[in-house]
Amino acid sequence: MRPRAQHQQRSARAPVWGLFPQFDASLLKDLPIFLAAFSVFYALIAMARYWFAPFNSQVEISLRPAALPLYAMYSVMRIAISYFISLVFSIVYGYVAAYNRKAERLMIPLLDTLQSIPVLSFLPGVMLAMVALFPKRQLGIELGSIILIFTGQAWNMAFSFYSSLKAIPSEMHEVAAVYRWSPWQKLVEMELPFAAIGLIWNSMVSVAAAWFYLIACEMFTLGQHDFRLPGLGSYLQTAANAADTRAILWGLATMIGVIVAMDQLIWRPVIAWADKFKFEQVESAHAMHSPVLDLLRSSRLLPLMARKFVDPARERLNLHLAASWDRRSPDRGSGKAGRWVSYFMTAVSLLAVAYGVVKMSGLVFSVTGSELRHIFVGGGVTLVRVEFTLLIAALWTVPAGVTIGLNAKLATVLQPVVQVVASVPATALFPIIILLLTRGGGGLAVGSIVLMLLGTQWYILFNVIAGAMALPTDLKEVCGVFGFGRWEKWRELFLPGIFPYLITGIVTASGGAWNASILAEYFHLNGQVYSTTGLGAVVSEAADKGNYPVLLVATMLMASIVLVVNRLVWRRLYNLASTKFKLEA
Amino acid sequence: MAELTQQLREAVAEGHWDAAIESLRADKPSKAATAIQALPYEQQKRLFRRLPTDLAARLVPAFPYYHAYVLLHSLPMAEIVAILDAMHPTERDDFLEALPEETWQIFTKALDQARQGMVPPEAASPEAPAPAELEPIIVARQIEKSYMQPEGRQIQVVAPIDISIEPGTILAVLGPSGSGKSTVLRMLAGLLAPSKGTVLWHGKPLGESHPNVAIVFQSFALFPWLTVRENVEAPLLARGVTQAERYRRALKALRSVGLKGFESAYPKELSGGMKQRVGFARALAVEPEILFMDEPFSALDVLTAENLRRELLALWTEKKITTRSIFIVTHNIEEAVLLADRVVVLGSNPATIRADFRIPLAQPRDRKSAAFLLYVDYIYKVMTQPQLELAPPKIASAEATPRWQMLPHTRPGSMAGLLELLVDHGGEEDLYHVAGKLLLETDDLLPIIEGATMLGFAKAREGDVQITAEGKAFAQANVDARKAIFRDAVLVHAKLIERMKSALESRSDHTMPLEFFHDILDEHFTEADVLKQLETALNWGRYAEIFSYDPETDTIKLHTGNSLETENLAAEQ
Repeated sequence: MRPRAQHQQRSARAPVWGLFPQFDASLLKDLPIFLAAFSVFYALIAMARYWFAPFNSQVEISLRPAALPLYAMYSVMRIAISYFISLVFSIVYGYVAAYNRKAERLMIPLLDTLQSIPVLSFLPGVMLAMVALFPKRQLGIELGSIILIFTGQAWNMAFSFYSSLKAIPSEMHEVAAVYRWSPWQKLVEMELPFAAIGLIWNSMVSVAAAWFYLIACEMFTLGQHDFRLPGLGSYLQTAANAADTRAILWGLATMIGVIVAMDQLIWRPVIAWADKFKFEQVESAHAMHSPVLDLLRSSRLLPLMARKFVDPARERLNLHLAASWDRRSPDRGSGKAGRWVSYFMTAVSLLAVAYGVVKMSGLVFSVTGSELRHIFVGGGVTLVRVEFTLLIAALWTVPAGVTIGLNAKLATVLQPVVQVVASVPATALFPIIILLLTRGGGGLAVGSIVLMLLGTQWYILFNVIAGAMALPTDLKEVCGVFGFGRWEKWRELFLPGIFPYLITGIVTASGGAWNASILAEYFHLNGQVYSTTGLGAVVSEAADKGNYPVLLVATMLMASIVLVVNRLVWRRLYNLASTKFKLEA
Repeated sequence: MAELTQQLREAVAEGHWDAAIESLRADKPSKAATAIQALPYEQQKRLFRRLPTDLAARLVPAFPYYHAYVLLHSLPMAEIVAILDAMHPTERDDFLEALPEETWQIFTKALDQARQGMVPPEAASPEAPAPAELEPIIVARQIEKSYMQPEGRQIQVVAPIDISIEPGTILAVLGPSGSGKSTVLRMLAGLLAPSKGTVLWHGKPLGESHPNVAIVFQSFALFPWLTVRENVEAPLLARGVTQAERYRRALKALRSVGLKGFESAYPKELSGGMKQRVGFARALAVEPEILFMDEPFSALDVLTAENLRRELLALWTEKKITTRSIFIVTHNIEEAVLLADRVVVLGSNPATIRADFRIPLAQPRDRKSAAFLLYVDYIYKVMTQPQLELAPPKIASAEATPRWQMLPHTRPGSMAGLLELLVDHGGEEDLYHVAGKLLLETDDLLPIIEGATMLGFAKAREGDVQITAEGKAFAQANVDARKAIFRDAVLVHAKLIERMKSALESRSDHTMPLEFFHDILDEHFTEADVLKQLETALNWGRYAEIFSYDPETDTIKLHTGNSLETENLAAEQ
């Protein structure tokens, strides 16, 4: 009796489509997931077919808008592959550095140095080496671009994973030790979740940087050789070469579209999902929301597949690894064999370093005196140019950022706009800006500053907005109560308050400006070379002409200037910011 | 002494009470008392009950007073009266004098009533059944821990100590913060290898066995990304337990701590008390042989902590958990007396065993009972007077005294607060009363007492704290006069600050980097302690206007005599 009554009640209330079996309706919801899976699969096949095609030395870049989806896909796939390699690298590197004390002493300073080397100075060398390795296939030049993007995005991710591992509270390790978790269980239930949020935010930064390098790679030509790759970068450059405004606009729109889509389809859902990895003991009020994640969560198909295939497999893997770990004798210690292996590894790496140093010094000593003077003068000019760029950027972003940050309404309207504008990699705009400059008759001496500004100002603006938004209300009220004037407010509250954020922004921007100088001071457009005095121009020109000794010395000089300035100026200001100017609750 | 102990043990074991009493009578009371205390507590009681009144009266003063009190209370009230009456008057007064105030009041009232022939309400403290003599689960022999400083010097945190964990007991380790009690716990649990000495688990070295232990942490140490159930299941997964069985055992453990229905919640949705329940469930799910607890109730509010303690005790006394022994580290004296069958008090820098004794009171214990207060008072006494070796058996002598005086980590304002309280209460107060009135944990109170004692403002005596003339002057002075008194006291008693002052005076610009003193202290303390020492020295020195500190340059500068404040002070006087 009773079930029937319930049934009638339900059908009376439900709309007509509610009468259909539940399963069908839910399958409709799964349709987007199906389609997405198919298109990813298609992209993989298309990419593979293209990669193993014979090497094409003269790439024809079509300016038809219809060609754009394919170019966009090529670009995205390059970024995806190099991102995946970076992720694996970061986890391995961070893990070894965090748990092996001897390796840590070498690996962390190395990471610090690698982070400050301007990646674009590697571009010519890497490309030539990869093409030499695979002369017959497209694969070589593709691998070259992937390796280059990798060097642009791996270090900060590795550093993030490493510092997350180091920050795991000791009690967590003790829980794992006292209950004898296997290394696998530790990785899955403790280390990866703990590092997840840092890794995700750094991944976003890395992928943004990857666009910058990818575009540069795709436009790359070296002397007579054309290494251009079909992609959004080469499309934009070809369009600028042809001064085809319509194509330029199509290209830019596609690029923005791809970046916004990646944000909506990948980053937002991932961030919303990662909310559960927040290492907090109290639930926070606001969390990010993502419709895509909601769609995935309400799917019926995914949990079903998880229950049927993933869960049993994971359970078996877990139990197997736990059992094999439990069987091990509790006696820890690597023993003699382990020690010999580590001696051997140390010896091998020392030999490799020594070999490299000898070979390089051979190259370095072949640089002539006038070349050397050229390099150092260039270094000085670019140093001034970079700092000048930062100054200009700070001069407009600080007032603008504070105004936006203090006004909640303005912030909600402007922040997404600024984010989209900033997401366009500066390298994509280079051809267009140069085109405009040449038409306007301006030289690259000033123009290069504009180009560098393009890539760097956003870091500062974002950080200043964040800093202004974080200013405590009570302090703002104090200014109001005591009737501080405009100047007093800036001096007593705004400037000290945003100082830590400003420094963070400038440090990031400084690295970006040095990198951009390599392209901004020496640029190929329409078969013509535009250049100005500077270290970036020295690097590019040396690469163009195959003058490897000069390329090497100039790159080394650039890396050391960045390192020294970071150590002497930015790190000190950073320490000051994190002690004296820290706003504590 | 050992001979008497041996004789006594044999005689008691075979029930030859007369022989036992004869041998006790033949020796000195102090040796007899020591020999009795070496017996299992159950036998001590049986023997004590059979002692003739005169012998008992002679022996009572030879026991530690708290032990004598508990032994006496195994007798009917009339017999207690008889023994006390038979005691030498000065010895009797000393014994009664040693009791804390409340205990003394309850006890004398009960005695009066007994003398008038009435039956007092609390005739005898209920006693816990003594545990059967079993092989200890863990025996640690001469374990010690030292850490290598970066410059290659060793800093010892734990001096060689012996400790064992017997089945059927709750063992509490008490000590001031930084006394290395957590280090001892980690060495016994197998998380940390001792620098020297061995830990035996059922007779086998710890390195060769997988001890079945669990730990409950002060910070809960739950994984925020795992649900309550997954948190409890994680240790079971590590042991290769299958999904269905994991689920069953996790639910069982959660039910036992009253968390049924919260399986799929995340830890951050729970209150502190509920989080610690998850911590307990996770520990109980593996059915550990020993349950280690590192300050498990310290992060909780008072009511929640009390509630959770009671529930844990209920699980334990009703044998609802399979755990054979509980080892709890705490700085809360009342918590130790409430829970523990045995208490080990550690001294700090490096950790040594200052006292190790049994609390033979039955569960549940009444915080207001005379015997309870007796133990609380006694532990305060042990913790505040390191020089006082209150001769419970098995005290390891503290040979390694630090050459450098250590400033207690406290502020002038806290000491002033304590002294004002003492003035208000007639100049003397039991320590546990002070703790109650100031709403301070032992851990926070002890450094204040130490500071006031070091500066000669107060004296700690027999579990009491007493204000001195200087202390009284300080408490009653105005702000500027206080600074002057404090300054004089600091320069006489606080060696570090005195040295800092003379070092500054030797410089022409009266300025020195703080780093200099950091390096000097570095040779005597661990890095964490060095920072604490400097912080305290800066606090005291700045309050006393001996020097000022400039955080920009990280330097200290001598306060010269003609400063504004001193002038004002002179003008006022």
